[in-house]
Amino acid sequence: MNAVTLNNLSKIYPDGKKAVDSVTISLEPGEVFGFLGPNGAGKTTTVKLLNGMLSPTDGSCSVFGIEPCKSPEKTHAISGVVTEHAQMYDTLTGLENLIFYGTIFGLSPAESKKRAESLLAQLELSEARDKKLGAYSTGMRQRLSLARALIHNPRLLFLDEPTSGLDPESAQNVHLLIRGLAQEKGITVFLCTHQLRYAQEICTRYGLMSEGRLIASGTLEELRGRIGAGMRVRIRTCPAGTASGILEENIASEEEIPQLVRRLTENGKSIYEVSTQAPSLEDIYFALTAAPETSQKNS
Amino acid sequence: MNKEMLAIIKKDIRGITANRRMMISLLVVPIVLTVFLPTVFILTTYLMPTEVAELQKLLTFLPENQQAQNINDALAGLLLNYFLPLFFLIIPVMASSVMAASSFVGEKEKHTLETLLYAPLSLRQIFRAKVFAAFLLSMFVSFLSFSIMLIVLETEVTLTSGSFILPGIQWLFIMLLVSPAISLIAVTLIVRTSARAQSMEDAQQGAVFLLLPILMLLAGQFTGVMLISPLALLGIGAVCCCIAAVLLRQCMGRFTYEMLL
Repeated sequence: MNAVTLNNLSKIYPDGKKAVDSVTISLEPGEVFGFLGPNGAGKTTTVKLLNGMLSPTDGSCSVFGIEPCKSPEKTHAISGVVTEHAQMYDTLTGLENLIFYGTIFGLSPAESKKRAESLLAQLELSEARDKKLGAYSTGMRQRLSLARALIHNPRLLFLDEPTSGLDPESAQNVHLLIRGLAQEKGITVFLCTHQLRYAQEICTRYGLMSEGRLIASGTLEELRGRIGAGMRVRIRTCPAGTASGILEENIASEEEIPQLVRRLTENGKSIYEVSTQAPSLEDIYFALTAAPETSQKNS
Repeated sequence: MNKEMLAIIKKDIRGITANRRMMISLLVVPIVLTVFLPTVFILTTYLMPTEVAELQKLLTFLPENQQAQNINDALAGLLLNYFLPLFFLIIPVMASSVMAASSFVGEKEKHTLETLLYAPLSLRQIFRAKVFAAFLLSMFVSFLSFSIMLIVLETEVTLTSGSFILPGIQWLFIMLLVSPAISLIAVTLIVRTSARAQSMEDAQQGAVFLLLPILMLLAGQFTGVMLISPLALLGIGAVCCCIAAVLLRQCMGRFTYEMLL
């Protein structure tokens, strides 16, 4: 059974804005799916559709076989959601907030407390556990939101910009935690983010959105194939510190590297260093979002 | 009522009780109505001349069993059993209106509504939890006011005339049936207004316009009803309970997450 299925999913708001336009995606359990795109691309609307907060105008979606628009409570029971607008209570402490959300997700107060303490420790919030949420910084709030989304051990996490407002170190820790959750506990992660460098580190597959449409999806390799860029190889044929003697060449795959090195050595060159550079997710993102129409046609 | 709903009720009530200023403002009006005003009344009747013909005439309109020998006792009885019960139709509604009005729109303004809606509870369950939280608060204020009122009033009557006035049977119906039922109707309607409102002001405005005419109408009608028969009060209480139950069941029927967010 797929963890998430979107089948020609569309959403048009009452003001006529088409926020999601015939998007089809399917996610296997345990995948970390990076849902990428600029503001207004339809990422948050998709998350809301997958949680039953919005009803699709057309098409359908399901989460572990459950249709969110028909049984939103069942969807909520197995998923955790972090979005910018899903805040917690400023008048309660971090620990009290987590215990409250644990209880409304069906845990006993004792279980909630135990789980909350463990998550607070994991997210480096133990020292702030008894502080009112009103005194938390943006970064601490984000981490607490993540703890809240994990309180009931969900099978699926929807994370909408979970690291916005975090300093690089905290962001790195959160991303490591997300990767750990997927790898160790098999949690499926649906991650909406702008932070492409981190997305590249933790996601197993990607979907690129633009103006409500899915312009490309696949693994990093598949996306590289979509933009038609191979690898760039850099060969240094001189000792370090020498400016000359650096060869850079585009190749279709790494299979071409031995051939290239052999050709150089046969020509009497000494090889000091060989390095390759493939287009990053960022390169792919900009290449695809710059020409969405072309990409759509190609797909 | 499941434990998830109880958690929401507990959290909502705590949100009010933890705010000392809010609690004081909630209790001030009921205390003025049920302690200060009766005290002024008792002291006035104690200090004024007892041979006022108009007053004697007024007392003859009361049922025979309420016509005490002592005019001060008769007036205190009139106050306790015919005027003060009316306040207990208004107090619970007033006490819960702020909490009920902020129930949904308050969460929306603090960006906590979306988080609450991601819980594995139906909209109906969340709605009911919000209604019960405001209702329980209203009942707490109502019973607290009643207790304080009774202690103060009995003390004053004992001190001024050396006698003791018994609360009538209508108090039983008022406190346990009519007042809770009217409070539940009002709270349900205000919470519904809150769910539709876009801002706190909007919700509070809606609550006032919705409740004032109803309360005034009720207060006017009940003055007579209490004089006629406690049984009539029982009947009216039962009807109000039925209305409250139907409202609670039907009120949230057409709401969707999309409408609330």
